[in-house]
Amino acid sequence: MGKEESFTRIIKENEGLIFKITTIYTENGQDQKDLYQEIVYQLWKSYDSFRNESKISTWMYRIALNTAIGQLKKRKKQSITTSIDQVVLRQTENYDTEFEKRLKMVYEQIHQLNILEKGLILLLLEGKKYEEIAEITGLSETNVGTRISRIKQKLKSRILKK
Amino acid sequence: MDLEEIQTVWSEMTDQLEKQKKLTTELIMKMTQERYRTKFDKITFYETIGAVVCFVMALYLLVNINKLDTWYLMACGVFTIALLLILPVITLRLLGKIQRMNIVKNSFKETIVSYTKTKNQLLLMQRVGIYLSFVLMFTCLPVFSKIMNNKDLFLLGKIWLTYIPVMVIFLLLFTRWGYKCYKNITNSAENILKELET
Repeated sequence: MGKEESFTRIIKENEGLIFKITTIYTENGQDQKDLYQEIVYQLWKSYDSFRNESKISTWMYRIALNTAIGQLKKRKKQSITTSIDQVVLRQTENYDTEFEKRLKMVYEQIHQLNILEKGLILLLLEGKKYEEIAEITGLSETNVGTRISRIKQKLKSRILKK
Repeated sequence: MDLEEIQTVWSEMTDQLEKQKKLTTELIMKMTQERYRTKFDKITFYETIGAVVCFVMALYLLVNINKLDTWYLMACGVFTIALLLILPVITLRLLGKIQRMNIVKNSFKETIVSYTKTKNQLLLMQRVGIYLSFVLMFTCLPVFSKIMNNKDLFLLGKIWLTYIPVMVIFLLLFTRWGYKCYKNITNSAENILKELET
């Protein structure tokens, strides 16, 4: 299988992952499209360096999260993102109104966290174990555990305030 | 909404996303190609243009430096040239540092630390740059006046009577606003750094 073919297969299999990261790290549609495209580009650029030493998802999370950090506050000018329109805009068209409302609330909660917490909560929600979260983030497992319980408390206290 | 509820909604969304695959091979490759082409029109582009303008001005002053015939004009000239050369170089280097960050090898934590530190340096540099550019306004005016019109503004007291008060008022208002913006951005960045480095 050629490089292009195997790369596009991996992206297709994990497009939901990229979509979710772009949603929690951006505030509007244009930034989201821009970040989506940047992540795909960075994955393509670093694809040669991926040598199956880690799981493909670990590699993807690492690149995507790192790209999201590097893109923060950098998006001053709108870039060309024509082709991505059809992906990001159509992604939510099948949701029902009730689910969309709940999902909006989830994003509101996540958007209030800081950049590190956003990454941690995303990995937790994706069902990653502390060990893998530690591998992706570079934090120790104990540290991951402590921070996650702090995030839980943060979320709880917000609910109580409301 | 607690974490369990968030988890339920998240899983439901993940299932829905799994069902609706939108990307095609053609689209993925088109995306990477488009990105490659637009890679250069980012913030660095504007900073580079600014740097080129500064370098051209510095070169012009260097070529004509012999026209500055008093010690104070020469001092103003040297200061102006130094600023025009140093400030853009530092800014471009810091921007380059952000772009060269190794997102493949660095962990998420390392990226946050490195990005936040560089961003803080960049903001500090921009702040210093704002203050220095006001000093630059005072120094470059007599230098250019001497080189272009052969007039020593220091000997013409009148112009300073209006120029200095206007500049001071402008400087005070502008720096107060700039400091507030700068503080807001760096405070949140500092918190994250502190949290990560403890």
